[in-house]
Amino acid sequence: MKLAEALAIVTKAPVEAKAMPVVLACGFTPLHLQNYLAAYLQQAHPDRKVSIETGLFGDVAGTIARFAKGQTALGALALEWQDLDPRLGYRQTGGWGQRLVPSYLGSVQERLKQLEGAIGEIPSASRLVISTPTLSLPPAFHTSGWQASEAEIALELAVAEFASRVVAHPAVSLVNRDRLQSASPSASRYDFRSDLNTGFPYTQGHAEALGSTFAKLLQLPQPKKGLITDLDDTLWLGLVGEIGHQEVAWDLASHAQIHGLYQQMLRAFAEQGVLVAIASKNSPEVVEKALARTDLILDRERVFPLEVHWDVKSGSVNRILKTWNISADSVVFIDDSPMELAEVQAQHPGLECILFPKGDYAAGFAFLKRLRDLFGKPRLSEEDSFRLQSIRQGQQFAELSRTGSANDLLASAEAVLTVEFSGHSADRRTVELVNKTNQFNLNGRRFTEAEWLESLAGPGSFVMAVLYEDKFGPLGKIAAVRGQRIANGLIIDAWVLSCRAFSRQIEHQMLAQLFSEFAVDELRFDYAATSKNQPITEFLTGLLGQAPSAECRLSQAEFAAKCPELHHRVVVKHE
Amino acid sequence: MNNTEDKLTSIFETVFPDLPVDKIRLATQETTPNWDSVAAITLMNLIEEEFGFQMDFDDLGELTSFEKIRAYIDGKVEQSAA
Repeated sequence: MKLAEALAIVTKAPVEAKAMPVVLACGFTPLHLQNYLAAYLQQAHPDRKVSIETGLFGDVAGTIARFAKGQTALGALALEWQDLDPRLGYRQTGGWGQRLVPSYLGSVQERLKQLEGAIGEIPSASRLVISTPTLSLPPAFHTSGWQASEAEIALELAVAEFASRVVAHPAVSLVNRDRLQSASPSASRYDFRSDLNTGFPYTQGHAEALGSTFAKLLQLPQPKKGLITDLDDTLWLGLVGEIGHQEVAWDLASHAQIHGLYQQMLRAFAEQGVLVAIASKNSPEVVEKALARTDLILDRERVFPLEVHWDVKSGSVNRILKTWNISADSVVFIDDSPMELAEVQAQHPGLECILFPKGDYAAGFAFLKRLRDLFGKPRLSEEDSFRLQSIRQGQQFAELSRTGSANDLLASAEAVLTVEFSGHSADRRTVELVNKTNQFNLNGRRFTEAEWLESLAGPGSFVMAVLYEDKFGPLGKIAAVRGQRIANGLIIDAWVLSCRAFSRQIEHQMLAQLFSEFAVDELRFDYAATSKNQPITEFLTGLLGQAPSAECRLSQAEFAAKCPELHHRVVVKHE
Repeated sequence: MNNTEDKLTSIFETVFPDLPVDKIRLATQETTPNWDSVAAITLMNLIEEEFGFQMDFDDLGELTSFEKIRAYIDGKVEQSAA
C-alpha cells in the first residue's frame, strides 16, 4: 500500500462512526507507522473511525503505563534499541566505544524491567501487540559487522527473555520476527536520512509491513475450525485403489515427504481442537487398510467423519458439515484435483478450497505456512480439546434419539449444568464463544473484550455462563447470556449456545435459571435475524407462538406453559 | 492546469482533507492551520512517492506554499529531463 493510499483510507473514514481508539507506543516520531496502522485497521473496520493515540517522544514505558490505566483497550508497542538505550541509536553521539559497551546491558535490562512492570498492569481484557527491535544494533561494537560480539548477543538475549516473559500476559501478542522478515527484509528497514532529519527511523516499506502486522494481530481473525482432506496424492502419495495400501507413501525416502509433513500438521491441528475429516472417492475397505498402517502419522482416532465412497465430493462435504454442525466458511477443503475442488466450491461457495501442491516444492512450503495462518489460534483453551469428543457424543445422541424417545435419553444422560453468574467479568472464553457462535446467537453481534467489559459497567448488568457435562463426557463452556436487570424483568442483549450442545434442552434450562435467579416475570430479547441464526429463531418462535421481533418479550407464564420436563442437575455459582 | 498541478492538488487533498479544493492552489503554511512539521514531512514523502525523486530536507524550510512547491517540482522535473 502506498502512503497516499493509506492516508486516503484514513481521511475517508466515516466521521460519525463509533470511535476505535488505538494507542501506539514508540520512542521515535510515529509518523508513517501511525498512518499505516490506522489505514490497515480502518480497512478492516470500515464501519468504525480508527484513531491512533501516540505518547511522548522517547517515553515508551510512560505511554504503556498510561495505556494500562486508560480507557483505550487496543495498543501497539514498536520497540527499538534506541528506546532501551539512546546510545544504541543514531540521533545521539558520545555513546559508542569499548569502554561504554559493558554499560549497555545494564541500561537495557533496566528499561526492559520498567517496561515489563508497566505491561504487567495492563488489564487482561485489553490487547497489546509488541514488536521487539526490528532494526539492527548500531556499529558500536569491536567486531566487524560479519561477526556477532558477545555484547550484542547479551543484548539480544535480554530482549528475548523479556519477550518470553511478557508474552505470557493474556493481553499480549508478539510479532513473529521471522514472518516480519519475509515481508520486510532487515536490509530494507532503516531509513538513515529520515531518522536523522525527522526522528522516524523506518523506510516506508518497513512502516507498512509493521503497521499491517500490528493491525492483523489487533484484529484477531477467527481461525478456521475444520479441515476436510482428500486421500490419494494428498494425505499420501499414490492411488491406494491402484497400488494397494502398502505402496502409498508419505516418507522422505519415497520422495513423498510433503504428504508426511501434511499428515504431521493435521495431527497437530487435531490436537489443538481443529476438526479433521476425510472426503475420498475410494473403496472403504481399501482405505481402512491404509489408515490402519502403524506408520500413519495422522492419528486415525482424531479423524471424524470419514466419507469414503464413489459419490460426488460436494455431497460428502455436505454430510461432514452437517455432522460437525459448522458453516462452510469455517472450513477448509484440500484436494489434489482442480476438478474436485471446482465441483465442491460450486456447491459450497463459502468453503476455502485449496489445491494440494503435488510435485512443487516451493508451493508445498508455502502451503504449510498458509495452513498455519488459517488455523492458528492466539491461545489454546480446554474447550479446544473437547470439540471432537462432543461431536462424537452428538452423533451418539442422534443415534440414540432415533432408537428411543429423546426424553428418555436426556433423563438417562446424567447431565450436569454448571451455571456461573458474574457482574463484570470479561472472561476471554465467554467473549470468544459469543463471537464465534453463529447459529444459536440472539443477534449476531460481535464484541471486543473491552467492549464486552464496558457494556457490563451499567447497573444491574450480568453475565451467565454455562458449562455442561454428562455421562458421555464434558463439553466445557458452551453457552452464555448477557443481560441487564430492569424493573421486574431482564433485558437480554447477547445469548449464544454452541452448536456442539444442541438437542440437550440447555436453552430451556438457561431461561428457567434466569427466571429463578432474578425472580422476574418477564424477559426481553434484543433479537435480530441474521443469515445464520435460524436455530434460535425457531426456538423463540416455539416459545412465543410467533416469529420473534426486536425487543420481543417472554413472560414466565408463557415459558412455564411451553417448557418441557428438564433433567439436568444444576449447580449455580456466583462470582 | 498542468499535470504537476493536478498531482500536487491531489496530494494536498490527502494531507489537508479539511482544505476546500478551490483554496488548495492558494494554500500557504500561514493560512493552512494543519500545516505543521508532520504535515510538511508527509507532503514531502508523498511528493517523493508521486514524482519519483528525492527531496532535500534543507529545501523544506522554503517550501511554504502550494505555488512554491509546484515551482520546486517543475524545477526538479526539468533538471532530471536535462
